[in-house]
Amino acid sequence: MRHLIRGVSALALSTALLGSAALAQDDEESVTLYRVFVGDHKDPKVTAFDLSKPEKRWTFDTVGQNKLYSVNEGASVVAVQSDNDAVNFINSCISLHSHGDHSDIEIADPSAVEKALTGPRPFHVIDHDGKVVINFDKGGYNEIVDAHELTDGEIESTRLKQARAHHGFAAPVGIGWVTTVASDAPVEGDSAPTRVGLRAVTEDGTPTGNVASCTGIHGEAFSGAFLAAGCKEGILTVTASADGPVTKMLTYPSDLPSGETTGTLLGARSMQVFLGNYGAKGLVVVDPADEPNFRYIELPFRRIDFALDPANARFGYVLTEDGSLHQIDVLDGKLAKSAKVTEPYSMDGHWNDPRPRIAMAGDEVVMSDPNAGLVRRISKSELKEVGTIKVEGKPYNIAVAGGSGKVHEHADGEAHDHAGHDHAHSHGDPQIYKGYFEDSQVKDRPLSDYAGDWQSVYPYLKDGTLDPVWKHKAEKGTSSVEDIRAEYEVGYKTDVNRITIEGDAVTFYKDGKPSKGTYAYDGKEILTYKKGNRGVRFIFKKTDGDAGAPQFIQFSDHGIAPNKADHYHLYWGDDRAALLNEVTNWPTYYPSSLKADEIVSEMKAH
Amino acid sequence: MKNLSKLIARMTVVIFASLAVPALAHAEKLSVVASFSIIGDFAKAIGGERIALRTLVGANSDAHVYEPKPADALALAKADVILVNGLLFEGFMDRLIQASEAKAKLTVMTEGTDILNDPAGGHYHYVDGKAVFHATPNDPHAWQSVGNAKIYIQNIAKAFCAADAQGCSTYEANATAYSEQLAALAEEIEAAVSAIPQERRVAVVAHNAFRYFERDYGVTFLAPQGVSTESEASAADVASLIREIREKRAAAVFAENISDARLVEQIASEAGLTLGGTLYSDALSPAGGPASTYIDMMRHNVQTLTSAINRG
Repeated sequence: MRHLIRGVSALALSTALLGSAALAQDDEESVTLYRVFVGDHKDPKVTAFDLSKPEKRWTFDTVGQNKLYSVNEGASVVAVQSDNDAVNFINSCISLHSHGDHSDIEIADPSAVEKALTGPRPFHVIDHDGKVVINFDKGGYNEIVDAHELTDGEIESTRLKQARAHHGFAAPVGIGWVTTVASDAPVEGDSAPTRVGLRAVTEDGTPTGNVASCTGIHGEAFSGAFLAAGCKEGILTVTASADGPVTKMLTYPSDLPSGETTGTLLGARSMQVFLGNYGAKGLVVVDPADEPNFRYIELPFRRIDFALDPANARFGYVLTEDGSLHQIDVLDGKLAKSAKVTEPYSMDGHWNDPRPRIAMAGDEVVMSDPNAGLVRRISKSELKEVGTIKVEGKPYNIAVAGGSGKVHEHADGEAHDHAGHDHAHSHGDPQIYKGYFEDSQVKDRPLSDYAGDWQSVYPYLKDGTLDPVWKHKAEKGTSSVEDIRAEYEVGYKTDVNRITIEGDAVTFYKDGKPSKGTYAYDGKEILTYKKGNRGVRFIFKKTDGDAGAPQFIQFSDHGIAPNKADHYHLYWGDDRAALLNEVTNWPTYYPSSLKADEIVSEMKAH
Repeated sequence: MKNLSKLIARMTVVIFASLAVPALAHAEKLSVVASFSIIGDFAKAIGGERIALRTLVGANSDAHVYEPKPADALALAKADVILVNGLLFEGFMDRLIQASEAKAKLTVMTEGTDILNDPAGGHYHYVDGKAVFHATPNDPHAWQSVGNAKIYIQNIAKAFCAADAQGCSTYEANATAYSEQLAALAEEIEAAVSAIPQERRVAVVAHNAFRYFERDYGVTFLAPQGVSTESEASAADVASLIREIREKRAAAVFAENISDARLVEQIASEAGLTLGGTLYSDALSPAGGPASTYIDMMRHNVQTLTSAINRG
């Protein structure tokens, strides 16, 4: 694969976007950007461009035809090359961070992740709960990739083993996992075994429950509290419970055309509802919780591809072989409007013949048109073409990353993905943490924000405990482990190994010997660093106490308004102004109750 | 004739409230959607038999992690009045409104209430053993102040009057009667809290939904703090909470009806305290439970607090 920028530090990314990120509360600053990834039908490559500036292209070389999945809120794109036993990952480098009432968006060039996964016939990809799960149809296992590490350009994966290799999937459900199960029956030659159902397993594939019957299980999606998959007899739903996954079969009702089944499902993001195919010429809206569970929509021609609008759960879009795009009203269960958008593409022939694919990009449906060598932009409300983008070769599979700085609410089901992650951040706004904020956001803070018993981390630097932290920082940034360690050696250096703060009294334990002073708030100073980011020092002045206690102490803990510190950097001395110029030595303190390994994991989380 | 009366009704509405809501035929009930159980209870108290009420997030459910259903969108599409708390409490609402193409305007309960503002604020929710941080610069749990609940009631009466002018006198009479009950409730709470010795008025919860209660009635609530948008309550948060519990000598730890209790159980055992019972924060209990109405909920919470603190 071509290696573009790898390991751009988070700081560099946010610097590029200072304007929109730091002022995200301001509606005027909202940014909308959609980045389109297109896999060629024949050539082993992925082309990427921004809808707003399609003349600028990025190209990623792979080893085979790519099926593309936009995962982890569009942070990464998975390029599955089933016939070539490879899976590549591209970071979209558009990240959206939600803060409840608004989102921040960070944008950089897309970059290929150096490492690829290889294995026998990768196929289905599940993106859920911070995990990207790829089924290796001829390997008999799923590779579970950590989505957040992936964003950092790292592939950290574990394997979920299946009893027998098959064209299936595995997915996290609450605290447990489920995997499809193949029949034990022998097969002729190279043909794949049939699939009989779904069973609860642990993360390594050890069964924890019986097989829930779901004949020929195929096509799976998440929506709301449910996972759903199509089967011959109906749609199998799965929900999480304290005792593990719970399955329920929704049998196809008798008013649906007989002899057909659902083999592809899509899950809506802002409403608990699924859209599936039902045979070649039908769709079903599936409400997994309430009756009627199924509503059938007949299509005028066979379906080529369909999509749900993540921004407005009411609508989906389906392209049929006559070259028409239809807007589906999911709530009413009918086609709302239709328009011709391309030449006909017959569904006769192989499923993998070059035919258009569609994806949603904000107010538009983007559609590859392999025979025309185009990506067409179609307005989703009018179903009218608003532009075309020439793409070399036969543009085929398509995925979109991006969004707008405002619409990305935290509160829908999928956004809780983050909660499964073990990074124990306890800081506020990541932009503030990195040092981007407005003066008006800065508020005075009491000494009680720093109350407690604190230990210096310098001894952990000296004895090598923190080495994994330097390694982690080096992998994420451009500096070497040695340089980083040297910087922190100067930064952390101190002989005050413990500090206790209780009420207005601060006690410094210099080589074990205490000196105590009482302190009163003496204002805050906003400093601008060379990199352009800023920090706030909260300053306290000695009012009484031992001569050994410094006249001034200045706290810096990445916070800018009242909030309990979970660690801090402390500057102390007798000259308030001179102390403000100290930017290389910042003795750092964590709660004395934290063990060394807890400090290491806290540090790595930043 | 029906059309004419509709037209007149609509004009009346426009004149009195400049709200373009669909008018009602005589026999029809006012179609009201309330976002969650507490607002639903208020709506019932004010609307009585004149309204057909649908409450989206029901008893013992957490609005923060609610998964809206197609039927909810259909109900919104038909609603004459939509009552929401606001202040980012119902994260699912904006998208659901968009999907439903609802015609009724949202009536925001917290409009005009006395709001706690915290620019870096937020609180944890605990769902299936996971902590989810809900970032909110304004604390949305305003109903935990009975003073604010009175404003909710006024807002509801105003919205009902605007949508159904004929019923307005009923709504206003109901609101007045209910407000008197609320005034009595506030006195009851103040009296109960004042009976607790000052230094004992400290309680521990996992999901800090009681800041308004703290402000208005003087019971301090400690909870894991952290302002991350994507983390579980970290070891450091819990450690600092335990320190705080000891420093402030908190009297009891409470579970909540909408959260799983594992984290508070852990906190209680580390702090050497026992669980003092269950408080109702963001949802009522089902009918027949101890907190099936707002007034019962507030009473139950005060009784649970006082008896646990006095016991401990």
